[in-house]
Amino acid sequence: MVGANFEVAGRRGTVTTNEDSFEALFSAEYGRVAGIANRVLADPHEAEDVAQEVFIDFNRLHSASAPYAAAWLYRAAAHKALNRVRGRRRRERRELTQATEEGARTIDPQHMLEVSEDRRQVRQALARLAPKPATVLVLRASGLSYAEVAQALGVGIGQIGTLLRRAEAALRKEVTRGTSI
Amino acid sequence: MAHLSDGTLRRKFDEADSVSESESRHYSSCADCQSRYATLADDARVVAGALSVPDFKVDVASAFSRVRSAPAQPRFGIRLPIVRPTSRPVMGMLAAATVVFALIVTAVAQGVFFQPQTVQVVPVSVADLQSLNGLGDFGTLAWTTQPTPQIVTSAAEAATVSGLHVPIVGTLPNGVSSNVTYAAMPAAVGVFTFDANKAAAAAARAGKTLPKMPAGMNGSKLTVTVGPAVVEIFGNLNIGTGAGSGTAAAASPDPSQLSLPQLVIGESTAPVVTSTGVSTQQLEDYLLSLPGVSPKLAAAIRAVKDPSTTLPIPIPIEYATSSTVSVQGVNGVAVGDNTGLGAGVIWIKGGVVYAVAGTLKRNAILNIANGLK
Repeated sequence: MVGANFEVAGRRGTVTTNEDSFEALFSAEYGRVAGIANRVLADPHEAEDVAQEVFIDFNRLHSASAPYAAAWLYRAAAHKALNRVRGRRRRERRELTQATEEGARTIDPQHMLEVSEDRRQVRQALARLAPKPATVLVLRASGLSYAEVAQALGVGIGQIGTLLRRAEAALRKEVTRGTSI
Repeated sequence: MAHLSDGTLRRKFDEADSVSESESRHYSSCADCQSRYATLADDARVVAGALSVPDFKVDVASAFSRVRSAPAQPRFGIRLPIVRPTSRPVMGMLAAATVVFALIVTAVAQGVFFQPQTVQVVPVSVADLQSLNGLGDFGTLAWTTQPTPQIVTSAAEAATVSGLHVPIVGTLPNGVSSNVTYAAMPAAVGVFTFDANKAAAAAARAGKTLPKMPAGMNGSKLTVTVGPAVVEIFGNLNIGTGAGSGTAAAASPDPSQLSLPQLVIGESTAPVVTSTGVSTQQLEDYLLSLPGVSPKLAAAIRAVKDPSTTLPIPIPIEYATSSTVSVQGVNGVAVGDNTGLGAGVIWIKGGVVYAVAGTLKRNAILNIANGLK
């Protein structure tokens, strides 16, 4: 979509509307936002679902040109995806079905089932962590820089190493309670 | 030199160049730091592997068209959580909260040069609320500075947007999530212009006849300044997830995704109303003579000793109990009880209105309110 042409005091130019800004933001960040959600959910379809909801929420509440737009989207994607893992019992059933389908297409169905089960247990352990450590893990694992993670969490960049260290230790402990990692 | 912190070592794992020269020298000769590094590096590798997912590609264009075709929602739409019909005290809290959101209307109803310094309960019935006309029926409200509430990412950002000090909770009761969502709003200014013709037309549509507006009221203007304001919401809120994403899975709201906030803390500069024409008394007399205002409600509002400095808190008497309490050294109004299903307290101090509410016992709410810094 291109900006609307306008003429003011004899000069021609292009207005960047909020709609244009939103489309530009969407194009720039959708892949990353969906990636963050997928990191939590390990389910591309559901991750895209979450990513689209995040953009809809953002567009309803904020200006697309807000300086905090990307940080807001990253954090919201992580939170919304974590909430889905926490709240959905039916997800377990879906994963079982998926794992069975995936298994049918591979030469080692048992291995695929084990991978899926491990992935499920890791996600559930992640969702049991407090929101901040869970989010720092997800954002960093999704490739965000220390500065980007700090901005998304609203903390100083100097705190990220500590938060990450504690979160990794906590996740490992949490997963170890239920399975091997 | 002191040992390198875990945070520094963890960052070194990701970004080897992040350590200073002196830190690097210390590390190369310190068995303790090297040992801790080995442990955290192992954790980092294992967690990275555990969180790995297969690559996936997105179709940005079709995703954008799905988002664009999603049903329109109000710009600041927070869905109300689903509440069990049997949770009457909670319903009462929500009803009370809804009524408090009508503060502007109440403020207008209360007077000219209105600048509240204290709060007082005005008991109302649901019938009272239903029978009251909307402000829009009596004239036109035009915002000279639009209210722009927004969800922000941190307390610091909330402070920047609102210019207010964001209250800090002393100690959270057990069970209350430390996950906080912040909302903030800069001050907004609206000008309400009374319009006798519009009021008469609205009354005629409702089959009522309004009393004649006092001389000078038609065309007079009330300037209402609300905010700035800050809200802190504790708990895993699911805000605005009902827009749908165009996929079958998200077409209907998932009740399991909805939750009540455990604790909400609000702070707003007290609303200020100024007038170009009518006096407090004229306005109060006129509004209380409108059809639908019960004699009981009119008497309760008239009982407010100083309408120009008192913020009336309408409490729906069918659902909520209220009492005057001392909070932060001033008088406030507490709503709810000690069942833990819902309670709240509101007070004014230094020209700022504060409110604390949540699905907690009244005593716990009061402790939080008194511990705010």
